[in-house]
Amino acid sequence: MAQVESASIEDRLHQIQTITDAALSQLSDHDMLAELLERARAILDADTAAVLLLDAPSGQLIATAAAGLEEEVRQGVRIPIGQGFAGRIAAERRPVILDHVDHTTVLNPILWAKGIRTLMGVPLIAGGNVIGVLHVGSLTAREFTPEDVRLLQLAADKAATAMQSLLGLEDTIAAVALQRSLLPTALPMTAEADLAARYVPGEGAIGGDWYDVFTLPSGELGVVIGDVTGSGLLAAVIMGRMRSALRAYALTSADPAEVLALLDAKMQFFEPGALATVSYAVFSSSLDSMRICLAGHYPPVIAATGLRANLAEIPPALLIGAAPDAIRRTVTISVSPGTLICFYTDGLVERRDQPIEDRLTLLCQSVTSAPPEVACRMVMKEMVGSDPVRDDIALVALRRKPTDK
Amino acid sequence: MSADDYAIEWMGPRAVVTLPAEIDVTNADRAREVLLAAASQGPAVLIVDMSQTTFCDSAGVQAIVVAYRQATGTQFRLVATAVARILSLVGIGEIIPIDSSLDAALDATAPGR
Repeated sequence: MAQVESASIEDRLHQIQTITDAALSQLSDHDMLAELLERARAILDADTAAVLLLDAPSGQLIATAAAGLEEEVRQGVRIPIGQGFAGRIAAERRPVILDHVDHTTVLNPILWAKGIRTLMGVPLIAGGNVIGVLHVGSLTAREFTPEDVRLLQLAADKAATAMQSLLGLEDTIAAVALQRSLLPTALPMTAEADLAARYVPGEGAIGGDWYDVFTLPSGELGVVIGDVTGSGLLAAVIMGRMRSALRAYALTSADPAEVLALLDAKMQFFEPGALATVSYAVFSSSLDSMRICLAGHYPPVIAATGLRANLAEIPPALLIGAAPDAIRRTVTISVSPGTLICFYTDGLVERRDQPIEDRLTLLCQSVTSAPPEVACRMVMKEMVGSDPVRDDIALVALRRKPTDK
Repeated sequence: MSADDYAIEWMGPRAVVTLPAEIDVTNADRAREVLLAAASQGPAVLIVDMSQTTFCDSAGVQAIVVAYRQATGTQFRLVATAVARILSLVGIGEIIPIDSSLDAALDATAPGR
């Protein structure tokens, strides 16, 4: 307690500074939090220290790391924002000191059962948002000074920034892993179709683009391409759910419009607020026709042998998740032998410095009825080249096998 | 992006919100907030003027759709030229009428019509 004064302010500031030194930024988030708590405890001569991180969807603070209070983490303590000591700090976004710890002031019984007499906590703020709370406690009665509060807030600010980038990095890694796990590892082999695909993640933010190709029990071939609005782990998770739901509905209905209507209803009920564009096509087993429905998605490019490629003429329809009971129509398009159909997401065609019409024209010029692998390579070369890719790009090329000459 | 890029102009009971040249993930949240703020003042029609907008990605589309869904009871109307293709492609025209000029939108929503 009293020996707190023995360390000079400069020394203590220096100790805080080291919380974000290069070595620390190399640690995993868990190690970093553990180190932060140890240092906070030492600098402030406190008995306990804990970090609760905000789980935004539930609005609850979750005990994530603790020193001298390990049971808080092991028991999975959750504190709603606005309630109790930690909840108040997060809601008011300011430091709080409690010199009287009991059930009237603190929601979490572990704290008072432990015999903590005094608590001091500060918000963890990164990028203007509260991401959690850091608090220290003393088993003996003591007065935390304004200087102590300042030091703890300084430590919290440093830690929050480092945490934010670690969490962001973890999200990105998880999103990439999820995305990879959900894209088909191998495209189905059929007697009538050749297939090729590309997926390129956007730089910085992983989006919710996906494609899926599957053979149906009827022998027909389903081809899906879609784009969930938003980016990061959440978009990837929603994408995964949409992919599964669409596969399930594909088994219950042979009509793409009905499948997308069911998917739309499911998304609006279970994932309100999520928006996505989807194209779903079903090819007859002989591949001589394609039944397709678009929900806010770009129409595919169709390149018949010897002819200039064109955008498929399919009426636009509302994207998934925007409004109940959108009109969904299936269009049937005949597919002659050797015809290649190219499905893609907006990342391939949208560029801020070029009108979309020009980009779509360029796309049509770059799609040919070449073997799908070659066609994909040519499209990516023409449309992307060596430009950095800001948004995800997904591309699927399917060609009906040419008749033997 | 300054708040001035999102002017709200009143034409009698009609509110006109002019969106900036580019709408993407960096300013879509702000666009949604401004649309909702305008809608909360109870205009007879909320005209979203995108005639100056040359780029609108899926974040921009989302901002418009989310504002439209949250502002239940507010009649929306869109004005678009360069981004008209994108907006009709995603089917927004099914829920919000799209005009090719502000004058056309004002004519179509003139009181007494």
